[in-house]
Amino acid sequence: MTADLIVQAADDGVLWLLAAGPAGAAATYWAFYRYYRNTDKSHHFERDTIISPQPVQGGEEKIDHISRTRDSDIDGDNSRKFRERVQRIR
Amino acid sequence: MEPQQPTFDGPPLSLEEELAAAKAEPEPKPSIETVNESLKDGLNRCPKCGSTDVRLRGSTGMLVCLFCRNEWQEARVEEEFGLGEGIEELEGTVIASGAENIVADVADQLTFKCEACGAEVVVDTAHALNARCHWCRHTLNVNQQIPNGAVPDAVLPFHLTKEQAVEKIREFASKRRLFAHGRFKKEFVPENVLGVYLPYLVIDARADAKYWGKGEVQTRRWTEKKGDDTVTYYAADVYQVARQVNFTVDDLTIEGSAERMDFGSENTNNIVNAILPFDTKNAVKWNASYLVGFTSEKRDLNVDALHPVLEDQLLSIGRSQVHASLARFGRGVRWEQEQIDVGGSRWVSMYLPVWLYSYRQESNGLLHYIAVNARTGETMGSIPVSQPKLLLAAFTVGTFLEGIAGAILVATA
Repeated sequence: MTADLIVQAADDGVLWLLAAGPAGAAATYWAFYRYYRNTDKSHHFERDTIISPQPVQGGEEKIDHISRTRDSDIDGDNSRKFRERVQRIR
Repeated sequence: MEPQQPTFDGPPLSLEEELAAAKAEPEPKPSIETVNESLKDGLNRCPKCGSTDVRLRGSTGMLVCLFCRNEWQEARVEEEFGLGEGIEELEGTVIASGAENIVADVADQLTFKCEACGAEVVVDTAHALNARCHWCRHTLNVNQQIPNGAVPDAVLPFHLTKEQAVEKIREFASKRRLFAHGRFKKEFVPENVLGVYLPYLVIDARADAKYWGKGEVQTRRWTEKKGDDTVTYYAADVYQVARQVNFTVDDLTIEGSAERMDFGSENTNNIVNAILPFDTKNAVKWNASYLVGFTSEKRDLNVDALHPVLEDQLLSIGRSQVHASLARFGRGVRWEQEQIDVGGSRWVSMYLPVWLYSYRQESNGLLHYIAVNARTGETMGSIPVSQPKLLLAAFTVGTFLEGIAGAILVATA
């Protein structure tokens, strides 16, 4: 019975609306904390250093096809996370 | 009369040892010798009147003689040692003399014989690189590259004055008053700011970076009805992606002190890191007179220890460089392997100027900084937060939003 009610409520978007309070509180806390403590700041050496690159080389080869998925993007996209290290080839 | 005996210098070497000694490569010397020969006697004299009462004039970045007011400047290391040039041709690890390994068994305390009056003056090189002779008032500078790594190759003089730094710090803190810790607000005295030269290694490098991973391109997108709902589905092609980029970097700047480069949540070192970059091209040849009136911190990391850090940063730079070539992979790219080949690097040890305001929070022992880049004026800081105040604000906002949500629900019911 309760489960049915919750499902119904969720369908109506009521749960989302009720989540606005806690979500807003958490966002406020996080935003102010970061503005005061700046724990996320660091030197952007990728951008603020004088870098002279040669043209990028490389290639790509089709290896698979996903015919049906609900994921809108690839798992573990790290193309923008420049500082996240992956397996090092020596 | 007795025949003259040759001086005894130890037992004779065996033939093999003699041969090995003759064949041995000479000891590796630093590739760039940056010792300022004109200051070898520890006395930095005004070139005009010979007085040693020399200081840095912050507003001009020049040395000024306090006796005759003559102003002058050391040569820029960029031109003097040809830094910034030939990065494409760098091979191996080229180290300037001030970036040489720190010898562990050398004591920090150095005794200087004052060349002016003969008195012996002790300089604690862990905390200062100059001292006054207590007899004749001459200023003695640690100008030679002593083998404990205390003296860098170059120094970037302070440019922002203390007043300007205090203003920057006050401005930074005043924007963050509302939720600041009460005790911090009470004890906030920006005039206590200190001018500090922090040790950095400035690196030019040539590298070849390679990356391998998977990328996905969306081929179809459609929706299906599922009960009352619609669900979106995707089809995609998966590619094996490889990228390679050759690049050079000019003046990559890395902390030379182990304590400063330890970035963790248990400290606020990222603050000092965030005020980089400096205009390192304007650094001048070492002369300790630039340090009079400021404190300085000693470098304690060697080039070998920093190689992994350099490789990490080069890998990150390479990744950012190849990013633009990934536009066709709309569903993103997941890098799985990477490789860096540092063809050559050139290391110069440099003192960079920072105005530091520090505050130790009693409750958790955390050392908070407000740091001002004394060249560019860039300011960054960490202000102790009053948790009760911040929680109250978050709770208030939450309640307000919940109220609105409730009102909407009531209105639509």
